Amino acid sequence: MNKCHKYKKNWVAYLSDQLEPVRSKEMEQHLKQCSACQREVEEINKLFSMTADFKAELNEVRQAVDWERLPVVITDRAWKTEEGKKKKPVFSWPDRWKWQPLIAGLIFGLLLGAFFTYLIVKPQKSAFLAARQNSKVSVPADFVERVDLALARRETIDYLDRSQYLILELLQTRKPDEVSTILTRDKVQKLLTEKKYLNDQLDQVKLLKAKAICDQIELLFLELTQLSPELTGAELQKIREMIGERQLLLKINLVKKELQQSEV
Amino acid sequence: MEQRNGYVNETEVEYLVERIKQGDKEAFMKIVEGYQQKVFILAYSLVRGREDALDLVQETFMRLYEKIQTYRPGENFNAWLMQVARNLSIDFLRRQKSRKKDSLDALDLERMNLLSKDEDPARFNPGEMIHKAVTRLPEKQRLVFILHHFEDLKYEEIADRLKISVGTVKSLHFKAIRKLRKTLAPQLGGGLE
Repeated sequence: MNKCHKYKKNWVAYLSDQLEPVRSKEMEQHLKQCSACQREVEEINKLFSMTADFKAELNEVRQAVDWERLPVVITDRAWKTEEGKKKKPVFSWPDRWKWQPLIAGLIFGLLLGAFFTYLIVKPQKSAFLAARQNSKVSVPADFVERVDLALARRETIDYLDRSQYLILELLQTRKPDEVSTILTRDKVQKLLTEKKYLNDQLDQVKLLKAKAICDQIELLFLELTQLSPELTGAELQKIREMIGERQLLLKINLVKKELQQSEV
Repeated sequence: MEQRNGYVNETEVEYLVERIKQGDKEAFMKIVEGYQQKVFILAYSLVRGREDALDLVQETFMRLYEKIQTYRPGENFNAWLMQVARNLSIDFLRRQKSRKKDSLDALDLERMNLLSKDEDPARFNPGEMIHKAVTRLPEKQRLVFILHHFEDLKYEEIADRLKISVGTVKSLHFKAIRKLRKTLAPQLGGGLE
């Protein structure tokens, strides 16, 4: 049995006729004497016989194939697929170099246009914001915002107070000639200038209601500056009606109240 | 031998591949002529169906044509092509297996058990048995077995084609036979000691 081990790995090569003649002869000699190896060889032969059956089947199938036509069929199919692929793209990449200058020109033009458009419509920084940014003091942004808001509120309340005062005086005046003493150009002009200064702040902070009422007051004062110093009774009545219609005093009171409350 | 009618040697393959890369139809046809039967044998050994194997031959060469630009001179063209054929055949078997919703291996074992030596010998189909057993061999062993038994190549020729030593071929062949004997033990009427 120990001797068999020497041959065991070679029976496959022996039966496949893949050994050197000397080795083959030696194996043959051993086989004649060894029944265990004979059984092994018999089994491998059976396997080879089964393989031969499959090979016979394979050869039969192979013979039924038209091997001369198949390469033509495959080649035609490959070329048709390739042509189909080539036809598909409208914009073929090998031609792209022709379009490159045009595309590059377009992109450059677009970029240039975008740059100049930016320069023209570039949002200008308001003086208010610029002043804030230029200040060297470093404080948290929300704190600065709150301070701005508080200041804007106070100044608006102050402006509303003085406007209210003036309007009240105007309403209480009985004679048109007294109006010119109350409504001196100085007072009105001062309030109008103040409003201009306020405009900037009202734009920055969110005081929409206050802004609306301040605008109406401004309009009233502007109309007053247009009137002649010698006011007629009818004109005075018209102004009073306008104040009444717009409920200016009521609105001023409400806005003031609101501003004072939010300040608290 | 019939299958060697369109035989192309390695130098010729390099030249033909270069021609195909430049769009030479004739060169491609020559490659197909030279390798179609080798691919067919491999595919048939795995799928055991004439039409399926022929479809796989077509698919293999179509894939070869698609990927020809990636082939670099000096590579083992035969091994490359056979790898494509093998992968496509395995994919085919997988698709078939999932279609049947049945495990191929389980089915094989079931059939093998059914066809034990006590069964009616008329039902015993050696061709089918060997085919199933061969498909279950490890990749290299299967390739050596197919090349030797179905393509009638000698050990030296197999070594040359697979770029391995003759000793390795001999060892792979021995292992393949040992595995087949194990798998087909009931049909062979014996067993490995």
